[in-house]
Amino acid sequence: MSEQGTILSTTESVCPFCLRRLPAQRVLQKDQVFLVKDCPEHGLTKTLLWQGLPSYQSWARPKLPSQPKACFTTVSRGCPFDCGLCPDHRQHSCTVLLEITQRCNLGCTYCFANAGADPAADPDLATIKGWFEQILLAGGPFNIQLSGGEPTLRDDLPEIISLGKSLGFNFIQLNTNGLRLAEEPSFVKRCQEAGLTSVFLQFDGTEEAIYQTLRGKAILQQKLLAIEHCREYQLGVVLVPTLVPGVNVHNIGAMIKLALGYLPTVRGIHFQPVSYFGRYPEAPADRDRITIPEVIREIERQSEGKIQRESFKPPGCENALCSFHGNFVLLPGGELRPWTKHEGCCGTVEKAEVGAAKARGFVAKYWAAPEVRTVAVGSHGGAFDLWDAFIERARTHSFSISGMAFQDAWNLDLERLKDCCIHVMSQDRKLIPFCAYNLTDSQGQPLYRQVKQR
Amino acid sequence: MSQGKGQGAEKVIECMKCGIVMELGNVEVTYLNSKFPIQLPKCPQCGLVYIPEELATGKMLEVEKALEDK
Repeated sequence: MSEQGTILSTTESVCPFCLRRLPAQRVLQKDQVFLVKDCPEHGLTKTLLWQGLPSYQSWARPKLPSQPKACFTTVSRGCPFDCGLCPDHRQHSCTVLLEITQRCNLGCTYCFANAGADPAADPDLATIKGWFEQILLAGGPFNIQLSGGEPTLRDDLPEIISLGKSLGFNFIQLNTNGLRLAEEPSFVKRCQEAGLTSVFLQFDGTEEAIYQTLRGKAILQQKLLAIEHCREYQLGVVLVPTLVPGVNVHNIGAMIKLALGYLPTVRGIHFQPVSYFGRYPEAPADRDRITIPEVIREIERQSEGKIQRESFKPPGCENALCSFHGNFVLLPGGELRPWTKHEGCCGTVEKAEVGAAKARGFVAKYWAAPEVRTVAVGSHGGAFDLWDAFIERARTHSFSISGMAFQDAWNLDLERLKDCCIHVMSQDRKLIPFCAYNLTDSQGQPLYRQVKQR
Repeated sequence: MSQGKGQGAEKVIECMKCGIVMELGNVEVTYLNSKFPIQLPKCPQCGLVYIPEELATGKMLEVEKALEDK
């Protein structure tokens, strides 16, 4: 290895300053992997991708690419400029985000949508119906996430949920800061009755100082109240912390502990290492990033070894380098027992679309509230009592710990982008991979996200 | 192992390796870090355990399906 490091492989990226496509190298230096690219106009950029164990090279799950069933664009300028999806895309949709408003009742320091800055008018129900129908044309129904902006600012949110359900979308999740869910339990009830299955709750920590820094307000109590109201109306909740070095990385263990205290309402915790697109304070240095292996090691360290790194594995749906997950069941005595299946991790090649279908099924099963059953199991003195008790406990007390690392203009790897399964419906009914849709250059200019015309 | 001598509930199961009749014994089935105790026919000599098809396609499959990874 030279001082410059070892080139592990090559890919393509974009210049963070002008977004032109560039050849890029993945370079190993000691235990760190960097993305290195050189723009003829703006010069060399070197960005941290991975730090430490589990190693970058070991975090693999090869897939046979699956072209989208229907492509709404053709290949013209090449990735990432033809998104729609285009025929060069390599994965089907797992989840489609519908941004039903650009309005927001918070002004977060970090916001991929740069929400609330100067919001356009909300799309009407006919437009949203057209989006659902377009997803069906694309090969859906897929899992839906209603997002924004803050989607609960729409009083007709229950109607939007009902509309999706009536068109055959059985898993509808709400991506929310939870403020309205805390303030208005009757609204939670209406959403649940309309068919909402799961709440993806912005939840950055167990300390108010964290919220002051990231969200501009002390709102921990509202978050907890939102969870209580979801419990009341049997909605599954996934806690979603944005992890920012120096702000809440120290709080990972406490967040997991709190989440487990709210089982079976809280079904999991999904960490999102901070990305630098949309709105953020300043252009990032490597110290402003936390990579997937660092998150895994912090989980292990802050749980005092009770949760071990071996319990986590790369995804079978999106690119391996985009995420991690582990499955657990909380036993009555307090033991958090891992049950992650390590199939598919050892060099076997899986078909991408099969992974997407599995991921859709997993999310629908484990991120929704468990059905309430009144008949007790495992109490009849039969030979299978303990088996039945375990099956029932796994149903009600399974808990997932996961994380997804989004990509910004500095660390964007176009191979990962082509494998993306989280797609955003654009205003003109195209399906855009999440990281392409939210991509902004160093001046905040978006590649795809529409900004209000003046 | 072989099945045969006997019919219905009184089925006798022999260990194919040792040629002797299996006896009911305590067995612990382990799957993904969890242990499930059960009584199954077991060879008193070599310890080989007989798993009936109805267990494999019944309760064992039920446990497997309760834990569906992605």
